[in-house]
Amino acid sequence: MGVPAIEMEGVRHRYDHDREVLRGIDLAIEPGEVFGFLGHNGAGKTTAVNILTTLLAPSAGVARVGGFDVVQQRRSVRGCIGYLPADVRLYGHMTAAENLEFFAKLSGVDGPRAAVAETLAFLDCTDLADRRVGSFSTGMRQRIGIAQSILHRPLVLFLDEPTAGLDPLGVRQLRDTIQRLNRELGMTVFMNTHLLSEVAKVCTTIGVLNHGVVVYKDTVAETIRHFPDEASLEDIYLKMEATT
Amino acid sequence: MTATTIAVQEVQSLCRRRVFAAFVGMLVAVTVLAGIIGWSSHNTIVRVYDEAVGLLATEGRAAPPNPFLQVPPLALLSNLAIYLPLIGALMAIIVGHLALADDQSTGIGRLLFSRPMTRFGYLAGKLAGTATVVVAALGASFAVGIAALRIANGYFPTADQVGRLAGFYLLSWLYLMTFVLIGIVAVLLTRRRSLALLGSLGVWLIVTFAMPQFTSGLRPTSSLNPISDPVSTSQRFFQITAQARPLSVSEQYKTASAQILETTSSSLGTGPVLRIVPLLALLGALVVLAGVLINRHDYAEASSDD
Repeated sequence: MGVPAIEMEGVRHRYDHDREVLRGIDLAIEPGEVFGFLGHNGAGKTTAVNILTTLLAPSAGVARVGGFDVVQQRRSVRGCIGYLPADVRLYGHMTAAENLEFFAKLSGVDGPRAAVAETLAFLDCTDLADRRVGSFSTGMRQRIGIAQSILHRPLVLFLDEPTAGLDPLGVRQLRDTIQRLNRELGMTVFMNTHLLSEVAKVCTTIGVLNHGVVVYKDTVAETIRHFPDEASLEDIYLKMEATT
Repeated sequence: MTATTIAVQEVQSLCRRRVFAAFVGMLVAVTVLAGIIGWSSHNTIVRVYDEAVGLLATEGRAAPPNPFLQVPPLALLSNLAIYLPLIGALMAIIVGHLALADDQSTGIGRLLFSRPMTRFGYLAGKLAGTATVVVAALGASFAVGIAALRIANGYFPTADQVGRLAGFYLLSWLYLMTFVLIGIVAVLLTRRRSLALLGSLGVWLIVTFAMPQFTSGLRPTSSLNPISDPVSTSQRFFQITAQARPLSVSEQYKTASAQILETTSSSLGTGPVLRIVPLLALLGALVVLAGVLINRHDYAEASSDD
């Protein structure tokens, strides 16, 4: 097996004068996986993503993305990741195409305009190109948000609560998009989410974070096999939460 | 490349949100106002002189030559040195505030800093973008100023006068950039937008009003008029604070402007170049401070929108 797409070894994080949010995370995610990171509110999922996307430096431990250290090789990490934060708001006064071109340039994409057109076509939202983002619905904004995160064809895509605020159709579209990104572009996807029904449909592997520690990690298929008495992933997750 | 991309986006952003139009409109309006007030006051005193000449003639007395015709041509725009620190500096604070506050409060900062770019590149881009907007706004004011001089004086300004006016606008650009940076630094110091804006306005009040009053012996008019000679004061405290007068950037700006535009008749000792040293020092210190703060700033969290 080659270099893991994402690796965390003993990662800890404490915000100033606050309790320790991450208490020694160990995690390895192989290339090509769609990883669903589960956990209650305040478990530390977003902090973990912030560390992996180089926005936060861990208080202790080592984290690598694409084989690059998130502290020592920040620039290289940024070159191989795409990131869609929860509730992202792009520049509302600019059109979708202008926003995307701006982010393509920042990502060092050759031929940013062509990359924007290609990405919008891939996501089947070319019709949104010339409209101002400020007038978009949550679903439209989310699609353009995903477009900005894959413009440079990253190796690893981080999605933080990507289904938040989406209607059922939007959730289904997002699920299809994630599957296509994984299948057609070979992206490894790391997804923080609460929507367990979607995790079961999209993810290949899940991890459960409880009070800053990863208490479970396995493939979705193995997880369901290990808990034959539970009807759904949701029941399995609730059982894990109750026992840890 | 990163800085250029950020700068272009910033200019585009300020233009789209009509901040640029408001800035240009405001500066053009105060330039026209300065021109009209300068022209009107000059015409009034010339008319008073003409009436006095008429009265003297009826009494058979000779009139002295008109002293008001000796007023320097650029004096017409001398009020700009009063309006710019008031209105221009306020607009500059808003430009600086918006440049960073939106990226912070909308969470776009999280996207930006997950890209292969440095924070210095980001700051350099923001400074270049805001500097361009201020240059363009002052450029429009400069063009209107030239037109006002042409109309009021009846001839196109000479090369020397155009050069002096350009020098005044260069000084004003430095002065306004100081306030752009104050707006930027305030955003980096606090996560609350309202607090950042209020803080910047507080600094503007101190620089524009409080400092000149203390450093000039509490002359209430000093914040509005570039009077060169301070009224002597016997109060010990204000004698001490008056020592800090060279550090009052607002006063030094007004005096240096008066020197550049040749609108002051008295000798002011120190030349305009030395007078802008405190301004340059403040500008440099703010750039360094912004550089330090942007590296420490936590872009992992969105700030408060309030």
